[in-house]
Amino acid sequence: MAENETEDALPEPDAPAPGGRGLAAVAGAVPVVLGAAAAWLSLRLDIGTLTDPGPGLWPLIVSALLVATGIGILVSARRAGGTEAFTRGAISVAAAAVALFAYASLFEVVGFEIPTLLLLAAWLRFLGRESWLSTALLSVGVTAAAYALFILGLGVPLPHLIVL
Amino acid sequence: MDLSPVLTGFSVAFEPENLLFCLLGVTIGMLIGVLPGLGPAATIAILLPITYNLEPAAAVIMLAGIFYGAQYGGTITSVLLKLPGEASTVVTAIDGHALAKRGEAGSALGVAALASFIGGTASILLLSFIAPALAGVALAFGPAEYTVLALIGIFLVGTLGSGSLVKSAAAAAAGLLLATVGLDPLLGTPRFTFGTDQLADGIDFVIVAMGLFGIGEILYNLEHRDRPQSAVPAFGRAIPSRAQWLRSRLAILRGSAVGFVLGILPGGGATMSSLVAYAVEKRSAKDPSRFGKGAIEGVAGPESANNAAATSSFIPLLTLGIPANATMAVLFGALMLQGITPGPALMTEHPDVFWGVVNSMYLGNLLLLALSIPLIGVFVRMLKIRPGVLAPITIVITMLGVYSIRNNAFDMLLAVALGLVGYAMRKLGFEPGPFVLAFVLGSLLEGSFRRSMRIFGGDVTEFVQRPLSATLVGVLVLTVVVIPVLRAVRARQIDRATEPAES
Repeated sequence: MAENETEDALPEPDAPAPGGRGLAAVAGAVPVVLGAAAAWLSLRLDIGTLTDPGPGLWPLIVSALLVATGIGILVSARRAGGTEAFTRGAISVAAAAVALFAYASLFEVVGFEIPTLLLLAAWLRFLGRESWLSTALLSVGVTAAAYALFILGLGVPLPHLIVL
Repeated sequence: MDLSPVLTGFSVAFEPENLLFCLLGVTIGMLIGVLPGLGPAATIAILLPITYNLEPAAAVIMLAGIFYGAQYGGTITSVLLKLPGEASTVVTAIDGHALAKRGEAGSALGVAALASFIGGTASILLLSFIAPALAGVALAFGPAEYTVLALIGIFLVGTLGSGSLVKSAAAAAAGLLLATVGLDPLLGTPRFTFGTDQLADGIDFVIVAMGLFGIGEILYNLEHRDRPQSAVPAFGRAIPSRAQWLRSRLAILRGSAVGFVLGILPGGGATMSSLVAYAVEKRSAKDPSRFGKGAIEGVAGPESANNAAATSSFIPLLTLGIPANATMAVLFGALMLQGITPGPALMTEHPDVFWGVVNSMYLGNLLLLALSIPLIGVFVRMLKIRPGVLAPITIVITMLGVYSIRNNAFDMLLAVALGLVGYAMRKLGFEPGPFVLAFVLGSLLEGSFRRSMRIFGGDVTEFVQRPLSATLVGVLVLTVVVIPVLRAVRARQIDRATEPAES
């Protein structure tokens, strides 16, 4: 056994590339915008007084905190990175999210079997790069197992087409 | 100390059903510990809907088992492949893997299992004595104290985590904001519901946890999924040799102490304690240059520490109702689902749950020790499962679980949206931990703040005029000032301790 790797420090499995200054600015801008919007909505609720707080007071305090921290991040964005650059893999993430939104929308319309089968097949084949054969076997198998577990086993009233 | 509730707890832990759930929990924990990717917080979040129909004690026994079981499992891949399954076992990889390359993998794994067992068990014993005392003090707390306590909890989790301070604070503020969605708790006015009935009841904690931790983690791993498969080195049985055991005895004791203390601090937890324990071992060694080249103390110390910390981090949750880390925040949610509010009254109102869960941990640790020595080979084989297969199966289970909470497809959309938020937060350097923790504590914090304001007649200075809350405010101020300093010092120490040994 060679001892050529003992000098390694902490293992960092696939340490992602740090993001640039633009991304750091986005990290500060998001809380500011979000906080400002929430503060505006809170002001339209009843603020009340400190003695008798209305429903809007607490959200207003929290929104102000969000804006303040966002400004803090913007100020420190010049030196601190702390973000991760988006890689080409982000396309997979977006695709997966779209597939999941479609899944959730179809679910109550056509029952859970077809969307589940399609989601599994698409994910295994295109995101997992499985072969067509294992894609077909796994997606049918997992859908059947989910049917057995959730509908027959746990009695969860999932909308379904096949009635056993 | 009245021992009868403790004994009742043992009888609860030994009920056949609870034994089964304990075994199930530690096995799942060990599995997800071995598999890189899904952490304990995400796994527990995904399994929350399943616990709806369980008895409270059984549910928490299983979920707790997942948490401390993951600490055992994470070690295996650290030692064999230098691929830590969990953040808390990253530091074990340094010397553990060096030992494996010298052909001593079996012995290293054996020491790790024993160290984990001793660390975990010692920590449960200490917990059994400290928790009742702490809960006794906390029974005197009123709304003012809870306001400050919740603030301390959120603040500590933010500062002791690994991310930037302002970003943690921003994440916490966003979590508090999300918690205000729904009807006003005192007056019933709709807030941030955007006119839809779907949001009138607020956002269910389970959906936030499943979306942010579960779906968020899967999406995040999707971006970096090309992981090289390494060959598993051969090893015999995972039993420590006599020499290794003699060498690691004191390291285990020191590691257990470090882990117990750091685990109680909110935000401390398993990861930090394993790093500190490694630093302690390296400093107290006669010949520090052995570290990095296969020193068994570098395995024994961190492993006993992360298990001791995993156990002691239950203390703030079970006695004060303040979760110390992200996983505890999810367990907080699990208890709330069962209609149990974690806090000082837990021990007196539900002694069976409290002592049942605590005492089940002895059994869980024993089971883990029994499982890990003969079955390590089986768990290692699980590494052959490709992440591309595991992710879609996990996501289907998650989505169906989300639906089953209210039989509502809108919740699935919400969970996916929160998953995207979780992904974006990680990319932009925000930790999801403070967000979820603040979300959990949000209604407690708002409720006690507003009640205090009414009691005090709008006078904010009353917070420092009542002795109990003033003490807590003192603690809060201390942490605001002291922790960032300590943080800088510690970061430098850990850097020094974990950097490769100079030859």
